[in-house]
Amino acid sequence: MAFLEIKDLHAGIGEKEIIKGLNLTIEKGEVHAIMGPNGSGKSTLSNIIAGHPAYTVYGGSILFKGKDLLSLSPDERANSGVFLAFQYPTELPGVGTALFLKTALNAKRKFLGEKELDAVQFMKRLKTRATALGITDEMLKRPVNVGFSGGEKKKIETFQMAFLEPDFCILDEMDSGLDIDALKVVSDGINVMREPHRSFLMITHYQRLLNYIRPDVVHIMVDGRIVRSGDMSLALYLEEKGYEDYR
Amino acid sequence: MKITGNIGFIRKNNVLSPLDLTGGELSFSVDRDETIQIYCLHLIGSLNIKVQLQKEGARCSLNCVYLSHQKARNNLSFEVIHNERQTSSEQIVRGILLDQASMNFLGTIRIPPNSQKCVGTQNHRAVLLSDEASVSAIPELEIYADDVQCSHGSAVGPLDENALFYLQSRGIDKKQATQILLKAFLTDLMPNEIQTVIDEWMAEYV
Repeated sequence: MAFLEIKDLHAGIGEKEIIKGLNLTIEKGEVHAIMGPNGSGKSTLSNIIAGHPAYTVYGGSILFKGKDLLSLSPDERANSGVFLAFQYPTELPGVGTALFLKTALNAKRKFLGEKELDAVQFMKRLKTRATALGITDEMLKRPVNVGFSGGEKKKIETFQMAFLEPDFCILDEMDSGLDIDALKVVSDGINVMREPHRSFLMITHYQRLLNYIRPDVVHIMVDGRIVRSGDMSLALYLEEKGYEDYR
Repeated sequence: MKITGNIGFIRKNNVLSPLDLTGGELSFSVDRDETIQIYCLHLIGSLNIKVQLQKEGARCSLNCVYLSHQKARNNLSFEVIHNERQTSSEQIVRGILLDQASMNFLGTIRIPPNSQKCVGTQNHRAVLLSDEASVSAIPELEIYADDVQCSHGSAVGPLDENALFYLQSRGIDKKQATQILLKAFLTDLMPNEIQTVIDEWMAEYV
């Protein structure tokens, strides 16, 4: 049984089909990258896996650890181990970051039948993980993503991922809006999470991110389908020639 | 939860005391350099509050949260009259509606010709948690003086789908995510005495 198996997926917004028969299989522990030009449906795919209500699935299936992912609500998907690091993390004015993380963590523990953490246990866990990614107390006191710079938002997304310990991580344009220093911090944060039981799907325009996080498999997505798959050399080829050959 | 009626408080000289809103009509007059803050939780029926700012330096702030559900048809009206120059007022109204509930909000700021240098603001926002709920918000600004600062704003709509999805994508179920966002929507608006009733209402009905 594959870890994640997408078969003949057709999906879009309203009647506009964006994903047009996509197949993708990811095994446990693998890092996959999907590259593709603007408008090829990369971000749509990540939103559909996570369960964004704006998208409609017309056909096909997504199995995650053998479970029918499409029949689950977004929170059930998250608690089953799916994590989407957003390209543009949503700002939540009035919702404190620490409280948000506590609610999310305890929701997952409850879902898994584990005991919820009390305030002291939670703070201890929060501080340990935060320090590793350079997340300050001051950032945790702010409302979720409000007043954060582009780099800080991506750091907080990575931190949430490390904190919630998902086993399938989707990184949607993780490198957009990051300078080299921030990109390094974020990639280091992701690389330490690479473990045999955890898989990653990276969505990106550029090969740059792949220099920091080496993928096992690279896919090219054009017009809602994966048109070619290969190893890292495929990304290097694209960097040189662009997507012209695949349009 | 048993709703017995609307709840109100007034803060004057830094003392918070309860207001009796059973009659549905209240009026206040504010004197020189005096400040009053009114807080109300509007749950049923009609509520009209009128404030007259009588002397220079008089200030008032009217804060209301309204929560309506089922087939409630509620009315709220705030009226502030700036009878003297250099007086200021603020109206902050936040609403949450469920089911087929509807609300009519009328917010009036009246500044006569001789009342220069006044400041009057009004801000109304409401969240509709059902397609059948509705709000009509009418700002009425009657400004006859030319050297004043006035503003009003109103926004009515469902909860932000992306905000809900963000919370859900972190494992928080829709009900709890909705409550988190609604709580944030009403943050720091009401004194604790009212906030606890709001929390109870949300736990029961949302």
